[in-house]
Amino acid sequence: MPPKPRSKQSAKTTSAAPDAEPSAPAKTLPPSDANPRKLFILPKDATPDARIVTLSNPATRTPNRYFHCPKHGFYEFTKIAAPKKSPRSWLIADQGVGKNEEGVKKGDSQEESTRSSSSSSGYIAKAADLFIATPFDPLFFLLPVLQPKDAKAKSLFLASDDYLDAMGETSPHMRHLFQTPITRTLLERRMADICDHVSAGQEKMYRINHDKVLAEFLHKAERMIANGLPASMEEKFVRTALQKPVTSVKEETDISRVEAPVEKSGAEPMILADAADVAESQSSAAETSQDSQSSFDSTATASTAATSISIAASSEITLSSPKIPIIDAPEGIPHLLRLRTALTFLTSSYLPPTLRTLITTTLTSSTTPNIPSFAPLNAHLAALATLRAEQAALRSISDNISRKRAHADDDDEVAEARAEKKRRKEEEDKKKRNESRAVKQLKKVDTSGMKKLSSFFTKK
Amino acid sequence: MLEARLEQANLFKKVVDAIKDLVQDCNFDCNDSGIALQAMDNSHVALVSMMLRSESFAPFRCDRNIALGINLTSLTKVLKCAQSDDILTLKAEDAPDVVELVFESAESDRISEYSIKLMDIDQEHLGIPETDYGATISMPAAEFQRICRDLIALSESVSIECSKEGVKFACQGDIGSGAVTLRQHTNVDKPEMNVEINMSEPVSLTFSLKYLVNFCKASGLSNQVRLCLSNEVPLLVEYSLANNSHLRFYLAPKIGDEE
Repeated sequence: MPPKPRSKQSAKTTSAAPDAEPSAPAKTLPPSDANPRKLFILPKDATPDARIVTLSNPATRTPNRYFHCPKHGFYEFTKIAAPKKSPRSWLIADQGVGKNEEGVKKGDSQEESTRSSSSSSGYIAKAADLFIATPFDPLFFLLPVLQPKDAKAKSLFLASDDYLDAMGETSPHMRHLFQTPITRTLLERRMADICDHVSAGQEKMYRINHDKVLAEFLHKAERMIANGLPASMEEKFVRTALQKPVTSVKEETDISRVEAPVEKSGAEPMILADAADVAESQSSAAETSQDSQSSFDSTATASTAATSISIAASSEITLSSPKIPIIDAPEGIPHLLRLRTALTFLTSSYLPPTLRTLITTTLTSSTTPNIPSFAPLNAHLAALATLRAEQAALRSISDNISRKRAHADDDDEVAEARAEKKRRKEEEDKKKRNESRAVKQLKKVDTSGMKKLSSFFTKK
Repeated sequence: MLEARLEQANLFKKVVDAIKDLVQDCNFDCNDSGIALQAMDNSHVALVSMMLRSESFAPFRCDRNIALGINLTSLTKVLKCAQSDDILTLKAEDAPDVVELVFESAESDRISEYSIKLMDIDQEHLGIPETDYGATISMPAAEFQRICRDLIALSESVSIECSKEGVKFACQGDIGSGAVTLRQHTNVDKPEMNVEINMSEPVSLTFSLKYLVNFCKASGLSNQVRLCLSNEVPLLVEYSLANNSHLRFYLAPKIGDEE
């Protein structure tokens, strides 16, 4: 998710719960709400016609909630939840918020009054979930319909109406949305950005162009990494991937440190799968980003006291920059890896699987000059992988050595056991020598048919 | 502390001689009632049980129960150093490492002292119930020994049939067959030659002759031997000793196959 305009929403805990849940005036204190209120942060300049709509998630094809404003377009919801380990709740005190609000925003008095009437006594939301509406490129909605279902089929030029109709089939709400001219033009503009188009008389015909899609995604990825990746992504996919194995194997700790990146190296090709898991549902994707923003999260929770999120967001960015020690890699490699990580995240979170593989292949096969070549990155990662493999091999050798040393101790035990065995055997031999002739001969007696005496006499 | 003085070393020598061919190592369990021993052979088909009552010794002192684990071959070696009519004294501490044997020659004021290292022997003790045997045969020990030695020339096993007519030891071998029948017999002049058969039911059992021959090594201990038989239970061969002491052998019968 591009970290674009979080700054746009300023201290707006305001248009909170009531927007979404217009119900239940809490005069008395009910045991608990069957349909608890949720806290939303919505764009401040949303028009009154803005609605929460259910649209098909482009990546998963499952219905998801989006926020649509006829003027500004689409927003997706990012859920920010408290970590499960430290459960929290929201205390939504209307009084304080109201006062705060007076300074910021006097308007919309009607909404204000309804809210104050409904929750004048305050409200405790059990789940400390915060839903933030972040701008969403309608391009993502368009891509599934633009891309023909059968990947091999030659895609045809079609009128925008046809595409939009197709879109309306999957998400009934969409049909109403593009009734508004602004939305329609927005959609068509985005369509034009990624399509070849021809004019057939009055009408414009569109056909998807994968190179354009790729360029669009690259542009998004560039923007995503412009301010640096979220800290956890940076750590997991960039830093560990580029970490050089430690050469010394003398100490146990070194070994374990070598071990770690070796494990992680397997994770590199898995990014896509990993992220795909993540993108399974919009909310879960949001949760990852929430994970990545744990620092941000804590501040956001504090924002109940009307702290501005933009401060939190920017603080996160500023926080992340000094935290990062220098990555030991050739010039441009970290940038390429970040770009690829961002791309992988974008494609796995917002693209249907068919298109995802298409984009990935286009990315690798494309030789267009404006698309950066990932060849040096691949080469570097391969080099690192071999280095790690060597390290692992060396480690296993050294492991063997240390194991041998451990074996040395074992050897003592083994030797002891052997000595014990020998001793026992000698004893046995001695015993045998001590055996009288008669006892020896008695051993040869045919005792078949003779039961042991213990079957006659009971043991004491 | 154990101290057991035996007037005649011969008794102990013979007992050990009789046992040593059956078992290798065994525990001599000493308590205030005397010295007891119970051991099985390697195949666990024969059992020897010895009881030397404290009255057999003079004096006998045993403060607490002691188990003397002794290798019988070693014991035999040491006992060979004793003359038959030497006075034998067994000595051991309460938690002994060794057992001491002192041989005193009454004639020549010769005292020889030996010690044998003890060993830890795990032996299972079997509880032997009092049994009413179907047939009890008392006969001269030498007679029994002779029968066993004669028959082993023909076969490995002997069937002992006890009926009204008497007791019949019969065997069937590769070269032929043999049988010895004894009838009840009372010798007024020599009571030790008596053959006495007490029978409540006819009994017929087969035993391994090799084991019986082995038991017969105790023949020197007593003039008479008592054979107790019941169907389906082990044979008891008992040599009575003075002072209510005894040496008993048990042997599992051969059941099924062969005959």
